[in-house]
Amino acid sequence: MSAETGKQTTTNRNSVLLIIAAFALFILGGFVIAQATPSLFPEQASAESQQVDDLFQFMLVIGGAIFLLVQGMLVYSVIRFRAKPGETGDGPPIHGNATLELVWTAIPGVIVLVLAIYSYSVWVSTTSAKDNEQVVQAVGQRFAWTFTYEVPRSAVPEDVNVADLPANIQQQFNDKGTFTITSPELHTYVGRNVKVNLLTQDSQHAFWIPAMRVKQDLLPGRVTETRFTPVLAGEYPVVCAELCGGGHGEMRASIIVHPDQETYVTWFNNEAARVFYPSEDPVERGQQVLASGAYPCAGCHILDELGWVGVTGPNQNGVADRVVNNRSPATGQTPEEYLFRSLYYPHEYLVPGFGPLMPQFQSENPGAAYYMPVEDGEAITAYFCTLSATQDNVCDLENLAAIAEAH
Amino acid sequence: MASITAPTIGEGKVQPQAPSLRIQDYLRWTVDHKIIGVQYIATALFFFVIGGLLAMMIRWELLTPTLDVMQTGEQYNTLFSLHGTVMIFLWIIPVMAGFGNFLVPLQLGAKDMAFPWLNAFAFWIIPPAGLLMLAGWLVGPPEAGWTSYPPLSTLYSADGQTLWALSLHLLGISSILGAINFIVTILNMRPEGMGFWQMPLFCWAILATSIIVVMATPFLAGALTLLILDRVAGTSFFNAAGGGDVLLWQNIFWFYSHPAVYIMVLPGMGMLSEVLSVHSRKPIFGYRAIALSSMAIALVGFTVWAHHMFTSLTPELRIPFMITSLIIAVPTGIKVFSWLGTIWMGKIHFTSAMLFALGFLSMFVIGGISGVMLASVPVDIHVHDTYFVVSHLHFVLYGGSVFAIFAGIYHWWPKITGRMLDERLGKIHFWITYVSFFFTFFPQHILGMQGMPRRVAVYDPQFQTLNVVVSVAGFALGLATFVLLANMVSSLYSGKRAGANPWNALTLEWATTSPPPAYNFVGDPAPFADPYGYGTRESKEYLETLDKRFPPPVDDSLALTPNPQGTGD
Repeated sequence: MSAETGKQTTTNRNSVLLIIAAFALFILGGFVIAQATPSLFPEQASAESQQVDDLFQFMLVIGGAIFLLVQGMLVYSVIRFRAKPGETGDGPPIHGNATLELVWTAIPGVIVLVLAIYSYSVWVSTTSAKDNEQVVQAVGQRFAWTFTYEVPRSAVPEDVNVADLPANIQQQFNDKGTFTITSPELHTYVGRNVKVNLLTQDSQHAFWIPAMRVKQDLLPGRVTETRFTPVLAGEYPVVCAELCGGGHGEMRASIIVHPDQETYVTWFNNEAARVFYPSEDPVERGQQVLASGAYPCAGCHILDELGWVGVTGPNQNGVADRVVNNRSPATGQTPEEYLFRSLYYPHEYLVPGFGPLMPQFQSENPGAAYYMPVEDGEAITAYFCTLSATQDNVCDLENLAAIAEAH
Repeated sequence: MASITAPTIGEGKVQPQAPSLRIQDYLRWTVDHKIIGVQYIATALFFFVIGGLLAMMIRWELLTPTLDVMQTGEQYNTLFSLHGTVMIFLWIIPVMAGFGNFLVPLQLGAKDMAFPWLNAFAFWIIPPAGLLMLAGWLVGPPEAGWTSYPPLSTLYSADGQTLWALSLHLLGISSILGAINFIVTILNMRPEGMGFWQMPLFCWAILATSIIVVMATPFLAGALTLLILDRVAGTSFFNAAGGGDVLLWQNIFWFYSHPAVYIMVLPGMGMLSEVLSVHSRKPIFGYRAIALSSMAIALVGFTVWAHHMFTSLTPELRIPFMITSLIIAVPTGIKVFSWLGTIWMGKIHFTSAMLFALGFLSMFVIGGISGVMLASVPVDIHVHDTYFVVSHLHFVLYGGSVFAIFAGIYHWWPKITGRMLDERLGKIHFWITYVSFFFTFFPQHILGMQGMPRRVAVYDPQFQTLNVVVSVAGFALGLATFVLLANMVSSLYSGKRAGANPWNALTLEWATTSPPPAYNFVGDPAPFADPYGYGTRESKEYLETLDKRFPPPVDDSLALTPNPQGTGD
């Protein structure tokens, strides 16, 4: 009797030890799996990414252990408890075990409680407002991003007369004391706290910088915001993550993190100078306007010279030749007239095979969403006139100025 | 359980021979719940193939990082919009309703559903609704995804979007009618001796599902009505320029569509409980915990919807939804552990049904783990709307629901048709599906984390290698389905005849011929007191009594004369 009890105690002790050893192994396995975390994410380019990745790694330890536990029990069961060929008997009539069921309810309960607290603390520290933020506005429209930066009146050089600046910039100064410059990239520098205000011109979009681990939807009728602090200089993709139409996959931009404040300020001053000292040459001015991302053309058109890759609208490479050889004779309009008018009235100049998707710009109301002052329209047209195989200007620029004047 | 005795199954009465199937019975209006069940399943399988073909085209396009198979981005968007909608509303939800229709009355020992005519009506809404959905291609198909967020779905998407909404309206009506029928049937038509706690877990799952359907689907109807009005009547419910709000759609849509995840997975979990217990010859472990966790999931499932909106919801509201979403992992965990407890120490028979049930456990747990990760707001912010989510949802809905459906097909096919499926083909189907499923969807986690958003035809070339792996595995997964379909067709013509109870199971659907006669049972069958009471002397006696009552199937050569039965209408 006593020998039998002793034997049973030993068996019990052995199985308890076995269970403890198995669980230790699963948890160890979870740690091993979680070592993969850094290779699963893009580079950690923001202070927030470190915290998010650590949280993920913590969950991967637990998730990995649970994964191994379940797969381990499955594999063990199918090997250990498989019916032998021809075996027809049943397993033991066990209907449950209250203690065991309590344990596997309580342990997951504790795990999710810990995860909730940990996640909350990461959430609070990554999203709270920081001191001295650089505020950038990101505008999403199908299918391009435009980033705008505020320039205070105090930044206007002494030799520049505000009254000589374009009408829309003057109006911005009058309304709010600052004006904005635009860029197709988001520029900032290492260590700067960034706050991005997000607004959309059309459908929903989502502003996602994988390297920063931030994402926020752009909602019509609302201004939303997101925050991050870059810690690693470099250029990283900005991606649209909310379905916005046919060109959703091409709706990409870059964030450029300058290594320090000086290089950022140099870039900024160069951009601002383009507004303060506009080029006399309309062709050069047109190229600058387009390169600044002030208009979302890159989202839908291809233009190798400026790095546009959109495929929703017609390809703009060599557009000048096509206008001269084909569209201009067909419509009886001069090349400059055709190009200028198709900028402002795109739906009357549809290229066969393409729908009326392009926004209709107008030159009257500087406060409108789709505003393109006549100066810009003239400059862009002048630049397009040079997009020929020979890079010669195919237009009469004086006639173009007259057309713009009359518009 | 001392009171268990082998009950009588139509003792003393003449047991009829199993009726032969006649194809024409399945092609017309009938109120026989079994035929309606098969009509649901067959219709759903048709749409499964359509949705699968769309998925193949998606994967074909994604072999390269540029737009090349499709001509425009809109065409590509159409593919995944209809793939998602068809798979959810015309495959998983109807096929589950089909199993429910076939099995619930049989498991309850009833002659039919509570409202047979309503049952037929609910089914016959589906084929025209499905055609209406596909008719989108005639007028310009929807391109806003199965979630159809405005303003893309209101201001931009073509007229097929209106047909999409009308079709979902009809499918929602069908769902609600079916669910009311299930609730009334389960609450009122249990046989004497079957209290709630003696009910098969599949019936528990259908009850929980039906409660969700009745509570949630009207919200979908509301959202769709507003969407249709915005599209055709010039209202501005979702148009910010007219004073509307795009978040209104997201809130109502997900208030239905998150519970809809449980509509799609709970019946599968019910089937899993049956299959695991029968094929491992052991009682279900923790019967009450499994039954109650279905109810817990049904209730808590209504409090988590906004976790689909962590990147659009007002930031202050995100944390409460994170907490509820984490909590719902607990009842799901209880189920998984209970099933592991069920097979533990059992006598596991590796039938095709059992393999798919084990495959469910193995794959669904990955979807559960990634689900907990997604519930955590800071992590979700990064992976929201990426391939990580695509992966997660397919681990839940394919690795979960579809694996369970496959297990259910192999398990109940003999009862439905009176013939066995070929087990060798079944195992081929399982292994191709299991391996290719994993390689189709697991790498998508990594793609999402590294920066690939979902719903794009054009992607960063650095992701191409993994996308090729995913596509190739996806093609194998698609082809594997045809192994099942071939097996089904060949079984109908030359499958081995099945007896009344080929798996020696205790639930009542096995206590009648295969296929059952139009009136299901001769007399009122008395259920075995414990639907999962394997391993007892009483259950052995009960099963032996059954075998005597329903003699083994006749050889095919002797069964040339058809033995048609009336269809009860």
